[in-house]
Amino acid sequence: MQHAIALAGGMIGFGLALGGGAIGAAIGDGLAGNATIAGVSRQPEAQARLQVIMFLIIGLVEAMYFINLALGFYLVTQANAVTG
Amino acid sequence: MRYLAEAAPGTHPLTPICGDQYLNLLVVKFYYCAFTLDTLVSSALAIAVTLGIAFFVASRLTPGVPGKLQMVLEFLVSYVRGLIRETVTEDATFILPIAATIGLYILVANWLDFFPLGFTSILKPANSDLNQTLAMAIVVFIIVEAYAIRVRGLGGYLRHFMRPPFPPLTIIEEIVKPITLSLRLFGNIFAGLLMVYLLTLLPSAFAWTTPISAVGVAVWKAFDVFFVGTIQAFIFMLLTIIYFGQAREGLEEEMGRGHAAAVRQEERATTPATTS
Repeated sequence: MQHAIALAGGMIGFGLALGGGAIGAAIGDGLAGNATIAGVSRQPEAQARLQVIMFLIIGLVEAMYFINLALGFYLVTQANAVTG
Repeated sequence: MRYLAEAAPGTHPLTPICGDQYLNLLVVKFYYCAFTLDTLVSSALAIAVTLGIAFFVASRLTPGVPGKLQMVLEFLVSYVRGLIRETVTEDATFILPIAATIGLYILVANWLDFFPLGFTSILKPANSDLNQTLAMAIVVFIIVEAYAIRVRGLGGYLRHFMRPPFPPLTIIEEIVKPITLSLRLFGNIFAGLLMVYLLTLLPSAFAWTTPISAVGVAVWKAFDVFFVGTIQAFIFMLLTIIYFGQAREGLEEEMGRGHAAAVRQEERATTPATTS
């Protein structure tokens, strides 16, 4: 019983974390892409430099999502290990 | 039938040295007298490859037209040097070995993940263990704080925490640095491992997804290793340099120009001359 409750709680928490993290990462990626497009349309010659920075920012933004994913998975396995 | 199935991620087998005592914090257990053998082996492999590349290039340095590998490494080192000059200060060349080593090591360790390391349970990607990334982040953190104390003096270092917005916030901001630095790298590599595991698990539920799973593993692995791995290695290195930059941020304004000039003089005297 306790195991079932812990597992259910872990799964729900994991789902919420994944959903919220995905929303945040998507908005962040969109903002980075938006700013890059604006910059390139103003200064087409800066495209190469802006793209490097964009990928850097995307790496930083998506890292938060991946931290969510990894820690959420870790919590689910911890909840799964609860016995009794 | 499972193709290329990697071992289930999540747990690293512990090898106790002096009993498996741990600090139980309900969610996380801190084993302080044990080590994870798989991480040790895979990081030793990565270190060996990194040193091998470095010594191989160093042994056949040519002053004329450089070889391809030498050219790549020269570009990397000069790029990092430029970053340090821009972000920290002109003369802080002692950061170059730390930052370049961290960048090259993480890059090699991430690219080694391209081989199915999880195939055997003893080898896992080095950075998919939080112990590994946290160790690197703590080393960086300690050196950054030591640099901040050396540059500002102990009084100035403590006073720097009391800067305007809200003192507790600046302290938290400082403590959180190694945590985010390590979790970012760990989360990315671990999530890559997790995705491969889930993709290989798919055909056991629906048999018709076998080709999708095979293509998915190949595409994901290439993306994860060569895009995410490269970017994370670069970000770890860049943030290391940026933290050094933050350690002496606003030095001229706070301490007056005389102090900054004295620090710069001292730095110039203590840093070994680099050939460039």
